[in-house]
Amino acid sequence: MAADGHDVTVIDSLESAFDRLGQDFPGTMVVGSGVDQDVLERAGIDRADCFLSVTNGDNRNIMAAQIAREIFHVGKVMTRIYDPIRERVYRELGLYTYCPTLVGAGIARTYFDEGAGAADAARGAVTGAAPEPLGAPLPPVAVGAEGRGDG
Amino acid sequence: MAEARAPYILVIGGGKVGYYLTKHLLEAGYEVALVEKDRARAAALGSHLGRCAILVGDGDEMAFLASTGIERASVVAAVTGDDEDNLVACQLARRTFEVPRTLARVNNPRNVRLFHQLGVDVAVSATDVILGVIDSELAHQGDVRELPLDGTEASLVRITVPVGPLVGHRTDEVASLAQERILLVVRGGAPIEATSPLEAGDQVVVFSRRPAADLIHTDLVAAPVGG
Repeated sequence: MAADGHDVTVIDSLESAFDRLGQDFPGTMVVGSGVDQDVLERAGIDRADCFLSVTNGDNRNIMAAQIAREIFHVGKVMTRIYDPIRERVYRELGLYTYCPTLVGAGIARTYFDEGAGAADAARGAVTGAAPEPLGAPLPPVAVGAEGRGDG
Repeated sequence: MAEARAPYILVIGGGKVGYYLTKHLLEAGYEVALVEKDRARAAALGSHLGRCAILVGDGDEMAFLASTGIERASVVAAVTGDDEDNLVACQLARRTFEVPRTLARVNNPRNVRLFHQLGVDVAVSATDVILGVIDSELAHQGDVRELPLDGTEASLVRITVPVGPLVGHRTDEVASLAQERILLVVRGGAPIEATSPLEAGDQVVVFSRRPAADLIHTDLVAAPVGG
């Protein structure tokens, strides 16, 4: 997203996590907890158009997304929830969520039943992007992302 | 014939707070279950708490929560050390299991307001409580509230007696209060004789023509005069 020209800020509780973004990352990096309103303000959440929470902790993602939506009224808020049941609860409550567990299971089922071509097509459908070959780079992350779950 | 059952309270988080909370709730006669996800910690809790049900599992995991009888709980108290876990536990309890009252321990004081906004009934910040105590203890002025009376220079002032120099003295022995009209002294929820020696926590209601700030910052802070 940053490479596409978007103004991206990444939050992580570990400074070392930013190493993976590389030297030429054009965005901003903020060290701190994504569920701390002070940190979010420091990251400029009041100016954000979009917010994505993708730490390794479901509850942290849920809480960060709710802060973004209810407190700072960010226009588009998305969050990752690994636990399918919790994901359904919060989707029904109005968060825009996705569950990698279900997405992965769906791709696996399609691949095993119908082969690689159908699975690639399914990946395009569930990710909303064109099918990518395996080994493609990880997608970029937006404000509120924490690369690790041990913050 | 059905016997009236004690209210069922589900405590999530078996740390120190969860342990003592559960212990006191049991002593008060409630039916309590304590949820702790660490098996070894749960075993240790079980040997201390006896008749209480210790449930080993994740307080945010829906299938596990459904097995705790959460839907018949009167109160869910989420008291782990992680604010996000407490928030989600309370939200799941309320929205999915329709628990009437949810309580969360909050570590970051800023989350108290947030949790209320996100549907938690009671959010308790130990940091806030301790800060408040330190403030009033250091200032030696207790908690003071003023109610101005319309059309007069006077006001009703309520002073909660702090731990400090006022304790043990009658109101007429305290320089600032001696000149004022004492309307009421309340202790333990009931009025007491205005001539009783004061105890910390007493609430003194005064009719005063002086600003409450004067009452607090001058005479009240000074050592009491002899009776």
